[in-house]
Amino acid sequence: MKDKKNLTTEINPEIRDILVEMGAEDIYKCYQCGKCTSACPWFQVEIYDYPVYKFSLETALGAVASSEDKKELEKEIDLIYRCVGCEACLDQCPHGISTPNILRAARRLLVDFGSYPEILKSTVQKIHNVGNPFGEHRENRADWAKGLNVPDYQQGMEYLYFPCCLPAYETRNQKIAQATVGILQKCKVSFGILGVKETCCGEVIRRIGAENIFEEVTKSNIKEFENSGVKKVLVTSPHCFTTFKNEYPDFGADFEVQHTTQYFSHLIDTGKLKIDKSFYKKVVYHDPCTLGRKNKIYEEPRNILKNILGLEFLEVENFNRNLSVCCGAGSGGLWLEWEKEERIVNVRLKQLMDTGADIIAVTCPYCLQMFEETLKSMDADIKVMDISEIIFECL
Amino acid sequence: MDIIVCIKRVPQTAEAEVSIDSTGKSIQKDRLTFDMNESDTYALEEAVLLKEKFEGNITVLSLGYPDTDDTLRIALAKGADNAIRIKAENFENPDAFQTAQILKSVIKTINFDIILTGCIATDDAYSQIGVTLAELLEIPHAALVIKVDANEQRTHVHRELEEGLIEHLDIKLPALLTILTGINEPRYASLIAIRRAAKKEIQQLGKENIELEDLVINSVIEELYVPPVTKQVEILTGSPSETATKLAGIVKEKGLI
Repeated sequence: MKDKKNLTTEINPEIRDILVEMGAEDIYKCYQCGKCTSACPWFQVEIYDYPVYKFSLETALGAVASSEDKKELEKEIDLIYRCVGCEACLDQCPHGISTPNILRAARRLLVDFGSYPEILKSTVQKIHNVGNPFGEHRENRADWAKGLNVPDYQQGMEYLYFPCCLPAYETRNQKIAQATVGILQKCKVSFGILGVKETCCGEVIRRIGAENIFEEVTKSNIKEFENSGVKKVLVTSPHCFTTFKNEYPDFGADFEVQHTTQYFSHLIDTGKLKIDKSFYKKVVYHDPCTLGRKNKIYEEPRNILKNILGLEFLEVENFNRNLSVCCGAGSGGLWLEWEKEERIVNVRLKQLMDTGADIIAVTCPYCLQMFEETLKSMDADIKVMDISEIIFECL
Repeated sequence: MDIIVCIKRVPQTAEAEVSIDSTGKSIQKDRLTFDMNESDTYALEEAVLLKEKFEGNITVLSLGYPDTDDTLRIALAKGADNAIRIKAENFENPDAFQTAQILKSVIKTINFDIILTGCIATDDAYSQIGVTLAELLEIPHAALVIKVDANEQRTHVHRELEEGLIEHLDIKLPALLTILTGINEPRYASLIAIRRAAKKEIQQLGKENIELEDLVINSVIEELYVPPVTKQVEILTGSPSETATKLAGIVKEKGLI
């Protein structure tokens, strides 16, 4: 047994009990096998050691984020906010332990006491204040749709198309929303948008740990959907998908949600979406964690790409589907800055580029943003496209 | 060393869209997030650093509505020992002078060596409470403090003035310092400290608990309005050579060259 003097924090069952109450109940299942650590994307960042296996035990001892030393505590909180919520650990865990949920319990307490990174505080504040994490004006939310004849959602329309924040405001991401409505119009789908009445789905706020504001945003969105008579929502972002599908019902939501790849795959299979033009490119598909591992949507994006004439479909060998590696943007990661050599995105981009692809196909605005931003500083001859953009180019 | 830190719960408006409410005298707050005033967080951290050096007791004090308890509890979790809320609901829109008078009435009942306040509140930006409070308490003060080097009797402080000038002062304690942001790195609260803070009592002082002198109101808010736009920003788009050509055209047109 190790010298007890090495224990720098006191054991505190009360903290354990509170964290369990806040969602960390999985801690009791852990038997410290360590599979989570090797599955974690941080494991692949060679210079960085991320002790996933410790979080359950530390929480069970009530010894998480508990150092009384200022610098040591900063390091502990940094660890809590490094988790990108990709659930690779959960996927590999023999006991089905969700470390992201364990860490989110700690985040919730820290957020209530203003003890989390300033940049994430600002993100939460902006979503609460203007409905998007960038602090952009609400009245500009539908600017992406200008000149595209996209109607406002009205009762009786089949789908509400909900692009959410990145595709609504960020110039590169707007092209996804524009391609999506182009496809929907071509297929004569009955749809509309909420336009300036749309507000962020709030998924990232919940992952950051700002539960109270998440609840406020969620209830307000549900009310807006109900008032507008929305029954089916089509989303571009897997993050909207997962929170609408798996979390909004807890707050009384009663609507169906589909990811665009599910819907487009269905339209192709039923002959309603005809992809006429060829696309002679080598395309590697990157499974976003939230669409793949979390919601098991693996086949639809592949079905779409395999239905495009000329497209040579590539996989990242050993790291596809449930073994896909996160882009690093989840659970607030999009806003956090790490040292250049410590970024998960570099690991994933290398895997994707090593396939020799011309194009990385993505189905998540976060992944697109992370890859695009990182590629700007790399001398790489590879493009990133959302699957909607590829389809739209081939119509 | 016994330290009092005066803090304020304020809406976070730096990056927010702010609009005026129906009274025309305040802002709409329902979509704003509230937190401890920024420079107050630095004042609190400076107090904790002094306590680590000299031991003693930190009391945080705030004139605020019941939700101010959340902010006081954060201060307790970050190192304060006691917290007092003076019930704002007992006073009708106090101005800066009146606020300082109310704070003084409570502070004169507490032992202290140093009072620390933030140098400015981000909501009303008055910057008056700290220095007015020092005058009312008849103790020396220094505003805009960027460095504190104290012993038990005196403190040496640096004040940041215009254009990077630093003024060095040697002040006898007890004294009041208004603290600038950037003087230190405010700390996080640990989960243990958060739990400890959750159990602490926050003393609630109503008008009936305070021995008040005649309150003087020097200023009343008559109206808030958004200033009319006097200058416009034009963002040039296009390739670097296109934007450069457009810019050159504008500069020429305005007769600037």
